[in-house]
Amino acid sequence: MNLKNSLSNLFRIAFLLTIILSVNNFSQNISDDKNLLPSPMKGLVAIHYPDLKDLEKEVREQIESFQIFLLKATKTSPTTKDDLGNSYGTMGEIYQAYSMYDPAVECYLNAATLMPNDFKWQYLLGKVSEEQNKTSKAIDYYKMSQKLRPDYLPIYINLGNAYLELNLLSDAKQNFEKALELNKDNPAALYGLGQINFSEGKFEDAKNHFEKVLQIVPDANRVHYSLAIAYRELKNVEKAKFHLSKQGTVGIRVADPLFDGLNELKQGVRLRLLRGKQALEAKRYNEAEIEFQKALAIKPNSVPALVNYGVTLVELKNFPEAISNFEKAVKLSPDNANARYNLAVLLSAQNKHFQAISHLKSILEKSPKDVSARFLLAKELRNANLLAESLSEFVNVYNSIPDNEDVLIEFTQLLVMRGNHKQAKDLLENSYTKFPDRGRTIAALAYLLAASPQPDLRDGKKALELSLLVFNSTKLVNHGAIVALAYAELGQCEDAAKLTRQLITKVEEVKDSNLLVKLKNELNRYENEKPCRAK
Amino acid sequence: MKQRPVKNFSHWTAFFAILFFTFQVFSQTKPIPTPNPTTIPHTPQPIFTDIAQTSGLNFTHYNGMTGKLYLPEIMGSGSALFDFDNDGDLDVFIVQGKVLEPNVKTDKTIFPWTDSEPPKGRLFRNDLKINKDGTRTIKFTDVTTKSGIVADGYGFGIATGDINNDGFVDLYICNLESNKLYLNKGDGTFTDITTKSKTDDSRWSISASFFDYDRDGFLDLMVVNYADFNVKDPPDCFAPTSARDYCGPKAFQAVGNSIFRNKGDGTFENVTISSGISKDFGHGLGIVAADLNDDNWIDIYVANDGDPNQLWINQKNGKFENEAFFSGSAVNREGKSEASMGVDAGDFNGDGTEDLFITHLIEETHTLYKNTGEAIFEDITSKSRLGLSDSRLTGFGTAFIDYDNDGLLDIFVANGSVKIIRIIKRPGNTSQLDERYPLGQVNQLFQNKGNEIFEDISDKAGEVFGHFEVSRGASFGDIDNDGDTDILVVNNNGKARLLLNEIGNKSRWLGLKLIGKDGKRDALGSKVEVFISDKKVLRRRSGTDGSYCSSRDPRVLVGLGINDKFEKVRVTWASGVIEEWINLPTDSYTTLKEGSAPKPKSN
Repeated sequence: MNLKNSLSNLFRIAFLLTIILSVNNFSQNISDDKNLLPSPMKGLVAIHYPDLKDLEKEVREQIESFQIFLLKATKTSPTTKDDLGNSYGTMGEIYQAYSMYDPAVECYLNAATLMPNDFKWQYLLGKVSEEQNKTSKAIDYYKMSQKLRPDYLPIYINLGNAYLELNLLSDAKQNFEKALELNKDNPAALYGLGQINFSEGKFEDAKNHFEKVLQIVPDANRVHYSLAIAYRELKNVEKAKFHLSKQGTVGIRVADPLFDGLNELKQGVRLRLLRGKQALEAKRYNEAEIEFQKALAIKPNSVPALVNYGVTLVELKNFPEAISNFEKAVKLSPDNANARYNLAVLLSAQNKHFQAISHLKSILEKSPKDVSARFLLAKELRNANLLAESLSEFVNVYNSIPDNEDVLIEFTQLLVMRGNHKQAKDLLENSYTKFPDRGRTIAALAYLLAASPQPDLRDGKKALELSLLVFNSTKLVNHGAIVALAYAELGQCEDAAKLTRQLITKVEEVKDSNLLVKLKNELNRYENEKPCRAK
Repeated sequence: MKQRPVKNFSHWTAFFAILFFTFQVFSQTKPIPTPNPTTIPHTPQPIFTDIAQTSGLNFTHYNGMTGKLYLPEIMGSGSALFDFDNDGDLDVFIVQGKVLEPNVKTDKTIFPWTDSEPPKGRLFRNDLKINKDGTRTIKFTDVTTKSGIVADGYGFGIATGDINNDGFVDLYICNLESNKLYLNKGDGTFTDITTKSKTDDSRWSISASFFDYDRDGFLDLMVVNYADFNVKDPPDCFAPTSARDYCGPKAFQAVGNSIFRNKGDGTFENVTISSGISKDFGHGLGIVAADLNDDNWIDIYVANDGDPNQLWINQKNGKFENEAFFSGSAVNREGKSEASMGVDAGDFNGDGTEDLFITHLIEETHTLYKNTGEAIFEDITSKSRLGLSDSRLTGFGTAFIDYDNDGLLDIFVANGSVKIIRIIKRPGNTSQLDERYPLGQVNQLFQNKGNEIFEDISDKAGEVFGHFEVSRGASFGDIDNDGDTDILVVNNNGKARLLLNEIGNKSRWLGLKLIGKDGKRDALGSKVEVFISDKKVLRRRSGTDGSYCSSRDPRVLVGLGINDKFEKVRVTWASGVIEEWINLPTDSYTTLKEGSAPKPKSN
């Protein structure tokens, strides 16, 4: 199937190349009537030319060359019906690819008239009708294409979804079931059946269908929402909430070579960027990578393409290439804050703090109110051990967004590094009073109360209370370690040791050697020193 | 593209004239038909007629467009229907735009502003006259200058509510820049108390709502913000054709909403963080406050453009929890976030709960969420036939209204594209689209057929439903006090239209003005139940919010259909107190005051 589709697309591309080459020296005006390509024979419709004036140059030229080719085809005599039909059909595909639906329909109608046994034109008429919000018409076209090509699975999915939209559940069900006869694991058909079950109040069946979909396409995290709502109706609140926590924006994609192939017809940087960004947002990173590469092949110095490609490469963990793209973007557009910021983040991850600082300072020269850049700068200055400068930037950020927990935590870390323990504790306490449900704030405060290097700031009882609150909720080793510190501060060395031994067992399972060493040192103090509190 | 890979490899997420006084002389006289108590007549005549021009409501929205496709140009504006002078009829305020681009004069924009006075929001006084034969003469007079209101910001939405319980309705205007709170002094003039009241939000605000969430007897305020827009650094966006087009919400960062608690002394406290509503936000456009879980405390629903919507359930302690996802009202049936614009809550199916209707983009559906009880919703868009593809347009202002007073809540939708509609050049093209601003679409009226089914009857609703315009805000209320719901539509870059209902009062109706226990203020948020029989109860709500950018008539108008009698009327006041009345008159408005019923029942 895939090879067949690839060949089909190759043929399509070869055909299009032929068209482009054949119109190179064709200098005739498009039409005497600039708005209309007249019908060359009875039974065909005239084609209205869309307005191309605002289109990107490459796109306009592409469309115009196909228009000239079609004009030539309509004036060539004799010609076969198939040749003329393919010319109309291809023009229709170009129009549809660029969302110019009215002329696409006219072209497809002629193609379907000239080639009545080719399911493709009826099918694409169905697709374009759907895009024009004409569902009933789409159904008619799909049915016609189905008669000509009963083994093309996407027809059944489209029909099922169209009937579902019209709330014609039994027709929808029939089509999804036919799709499953062609491919028993087709996720779109299973999902459609789940939706029908839900509408019928058969929530158990709906749940089963949605679960099966997720087994087949676990990445389609939007299905978790449907599953959650099915569980909600089944009164299983816990499972409903679990699946809500897993839900995302990635839906089920129906492989449809005929329709998907239209995207291959698109030219121009703008549309590549658009498609790339859509893929990026949908977390289809490999697809985004290809689109941005194509955009850069057309326009190597496109800054948006470089930045977006860089972002995609980050998602694909190709950090060196990402850095290279961001650097090129910065070279081409030194004021591009996004490129510089992204670069700073990556350089920071490589401990190249001074380089990161340089980029962040450049951003802030142009945009002093860019809080995210200033926050990162504050952290980088701290990482570069420029503590006084870091403090000044942190104060600036904290005053801008005093209620942000990330800023608070990072700021207090700096204060601790500078030995300003009391100020750190006060800030955390104030924040805790204002936001008593913020876990990281509680954990940081508990840590300071249990093990502050300034012993007079310690409060073992409160540290234990707060650390248990967090640990009981998260069960994280780090939070358990704070509980142990609180026990030790209260003189409950055995409790501290017992808990730490449990934490060590847990860490040994996940093989975190750094944490293991730290915990073993702590355990040694809890077992062997009296008092066993942190020094 | 303004994307930073923050989320995935950094643990921190980015946040964050008096020139002259015009006396209008235009008027519209409308005959009032005699109610027919036995049948709901077949109506061959138009349901709505546009009387804006003839009644003197002359307002043209100005968006200041210069061809650079700035998103704010296409987003406004709205209007308010409110009785500012307490003379018993609804007056009008319409929010205005201006030039967005620095150093560009109004006469140099694509649609030049030609008035001698710069564009600003206008206040129109309703000088309704009820003649001896029952006919109405509807006349509006522009009293903006006299009122002292100088609404010259780039405006979007408006909210109305009496913030100091003096019986005079105040105004809050949402702008691209700082918002404005105008205190009604009760003498026909207003004063700007934004700073003193501490209610400003300098971000791009779209809609706002007044409601008393903490039951302290004073109206609190929530402001819904859209995005971080900078005219000096706008992103470039493109249509699938590759042509430049208006950007969508994702091109801008969402900024979060604000909620202000009325302290009762003329000032407000910003409780955005402590109330919990800062936890979740999106590109906010619409808001409706209603008791969605039926616990007699007011909840909040926020409609977001492209992000999940929020359902803030009132925790009765000054805090709110967002339960939208579990409730099933955050996203559509398939789990997709939609471009939610306008919103309204209403009991369309008579089951006693507030359902939700939200307008969306043409490629989506308007969504109907049926409340199955305690704020658990089911998306029944397909089943209700509101999602039919041939009815899809890009909707903004909306409301559940019973246009024909048959007792079933119907739906009005104000439409207008947000993307440039490419015009096919063809001979005889009858498209009404203006090539310089091709975003126009027609408005729609959906009739509730019962059994949770709606039918698009726009083609029978009147000639005004055939205009291709860029409609945004829609306000609803009984302009001529004849017992049916009229509609004020604000068209972006176009004339406002006043849709006078020509048929509603052919059925019986009950009109109620609800006044809170202080004896002066509209009791926003109160619920009304009209018991036709044990089995048939019509439920409505007093409120001024919902729709998009707009504020409506706070009076409760209940269509009774063929029923000329009912058993009783129960009011659940926003304070929680429940009272019942019998023998209320029909086909007229009655004022009910909290605490004045014969047998009050405490909650």
